[in-house]
Amino acid sequence: MILAQASNPLVRWEYFIDEWDQIQRALIEHMELTVYAVLLGFVVSAGLAAIALRFRWMLAPINGFTAFLYTIPSVALFGLLVPYFGLSRTTAVLPLAAYTLLILVTNIVAGFNSVSPEVREAAAGMGMTPFRRLTQVELPLALPYIIAGLRLAVVSTVGLVTVAAIIGQGGLGRLILDGLRRTFWTPMTIGASLSILLAVLLDGLILLAGRWATPWAERQRGSP
Amino acid sequence: MNRPVLTMKKLIALLLAFAFVFAACGDGDGDAAVDGPTIRLRGQDFSEAVTIAEVYGQYLQAKGYDVEILTPAGFRTEAIDGLRNGELDLIVDYIGGSLTALAPDAASSSNPDEVVSVIGPAYEEIGATLLDYSPAVDGDALVVRGDSTASTISDLADLGYVFGSSAQCFERPQCFLGYTDPAIYGITFSDTVTIDFGPLLGEALAAGEVDAVVWNTTAPQIGEQGFKVLEDDQGLHPAQNIAPIIMTAVLDEYGDQLRDDLNELSALITTADLLAWNTETDIAKRESDDVAAEWLETKGLTS
Amino acid sequence: MVVGQAAVPRDIGILEWLFDSQSWTGANGIVASLTDTVILCTIVMAVAIVTMVPLAAWLAHTRRGEVSVSWMVTLSRAIPTFAVAGLLVPISLRNGWGFEPWPIFIALLLLALPPIFLNTYTAIKQVDPGAVDAARAMGYSPANVLFRVELALAASVILAGVRVAAVTVVATEPIRAFLGGDGLGRYVRDGLGQNNDSLVIAGAALVAGLAGLTALSFRTIERVALPEGVRRVARTATRQE
Repeated sequence: MILAQASNPLVRWEYFIDEWDQIQRALIEHMELTVYAVLLGFVVSAGLAAIALRFRWMLAPINGFTAFLYTIPSVALFGLLVPYFGLSRTTAVLPLAAYTLLILVTNIVAGFNSVSPEVREAAAGMGMTPFRRLTQVELPLALPYIIAGLRLAVVSTVGLVTVAAIIGQGGLGRLILDGLRRTFWTPMTIGASLSILLAVLLDGLILLAGRWATPWAERQRGSP
Repeated sequence: MNRPVLTMKKLIALLLAFAFVFAACGDGDGDAAVDGPTIRLRGQDFSEAVTIAEVYGQYLQAKGYDVEILTPAGFRTEAIDGLRNGELDLIVDYIGGSLTALAPDAASSSNPDEVVSVIGPAYEEIGATLLDYSPAVDGDALVVRGDSTASTISDLADLGYVFGSSAQCFERPQCFLGYTDPAIYGITFSDTVTIDFGPLLGEALAAGEVDAVVWNTTAPQIGEQGFKVLEDDQGLHPAQNIAPIIMTAVLDEYGDQLRDDLNELSALITTADLLAWNTETDIAKRESDDVAAEWLETKGLTS
Repeated sequence: MVVGQAAVPRDIGILEWLFDSQSWTGANGIVASLTDTVILCTIVMAVAIVTMVPLAAWLAHTRRGEVSVSWMVTLSRAIPTFAVAGLLVPISLRNGWGFEPWPIFIALLLLALPPIFLNTYTAIKQVDPGAVDAARAMGYSPANVLFRVELALAASVILAGVRVAAVTVVATEPIRAFLGGDGLGRYVRDGLGQNNDSLVIAGAALVAGLAGLTALSFRTIERVALPEGVRRVARTATRQE
């Protein structure tokens, strides 16, 4: 089976060394886009989750809306926003954030729903104000779900950022697209491998951050 | 119950840490010898256009202008939109392509001066100036395998070939619509395949997935794979010389100096250069900025 | 013999295009593209289910492969689908296998495997040991325990995993149109290439519509096929997903 030729191997190491600046820039851009998108997605999701938790009947429509957003092909969403926001970071971040809503809203809602009514009553019985109840009791208990949601959102966003390469904003996706356009394996392999590595790294970081922030959960949980 | 309070503070600390890391990732700017506004230049997203953008960009930088070569992205529509909405100051386009984009109803022509007479005013309308076109041409090409019996496009009429091209071609009068128009070429294709513009066209042609593809005359794979460019006997394809287009406001800031510099460069680029650049980037897999730097040095243009 | 593709009229309204019967019929019509898409997605899902459910069930039943599971899932979620498919296209062409079906099939399969595997594995692992013990005590053979007790209780979660996989596959299948294929994604591709926003929106709506329909169908199957009691047991047994 023909896979790669001598002049066009799977990875040409000189490329890696020569183009290190470009690769580094792509990596940083990729990280930035991921963080901006997940941050924006998280803020919006927190708001939507708050609404869904406060007004129970809103849960179904909000779920339906975020699920609908998730099914819109990313290429279409990027392409449609270009005339309005140009080939800019905004055009990339908005759809990426939209795709995180389904995961994040689901997990934030599940997190707060996991707090049993007895715990809430106990906190109220101890004379806590609603705000303290939220921040000192409910939020810490919901945190494991929120962390899990963030991990999922970050990993899938890293993958989707590569698609934004078609509007010039793809970070490592630019390498992949360049390789695709010139049938040049090296940037494709490097781009794809680094994006997988980045996803695993960010996933691990959030996992560790979660463990640090919720040390008591370790004793409850059996497996990761 | 002390721990939950720490949780909040820990979270905030984490977020701040992230914020600082990214604030630290900034870029520095250089100084230019020639006074004036930054010239933002962006190439279209295929290797030839990227190399052309690098050539013009590095050339101007060597002359002391403050040039920002943006990440290549989009195609003609995005390039022209970039001029319109102030994102870009300088683009390089193929005059026939500009004609299709700016004046789709105007008559096409294989004479560059006729094309320029239409797109010049069209660009002025959006506040840009079309500078002199270069002798370098990258025209549209209908390409078949070396063993095909056809040598002109008209020869394809009854061969029942499978047609391959990018999505744009299917609604262009100078492309698919012209090939299948009974009044022009009147070709009947047995099937059509939509393929991303670039080397994939050659891959598909070599693999037998398609029999005729719409490509460009300077694609290095054509010679390398022994493909044939069919002769445009009905003159459907428009002239496709490259030409820089710059925002008039920016041009005025620099006066004649910038105009002359750009025209000087355009006059020096030939079709053979385009083919050579493409061979370097697509066959030898070198990077556009290196190829551009090397060419400028050989021509003694980088002082 | 197909006479080339008729030019898409420039930017007619989305609704007009959707209601025009010409858009639906013919080789490039919506029905043909829809059929293309459904066929590919069905095959991908079938292969994914047939390979992952038995494998995951067996691994969970015999209590193996714990650590590797979560890593495998994270890794496969991180793979950029477009890159995989794109990388496979030139290989496929040079080996004479054409643009389709291998590149897109493999890429979509990679998307479908993790949710089905993970849900099956988790569900079987979390099945109430009391029920399993009771079955063993009643004299069921290990295979019978697996099939009649564990799988039945895990069915709800497994079906949820299949649903997620199906929706993801349907929603991602459009990239096929950018790699020499067609299917429902062709309208987004053509619309983007021809600057026809209406076509892009209509294409995106069709894809989202099909994905939504897929989700609804599976939810209905879940509701109909599984008695309420099983679902309730399954839900409490597998709360941490």
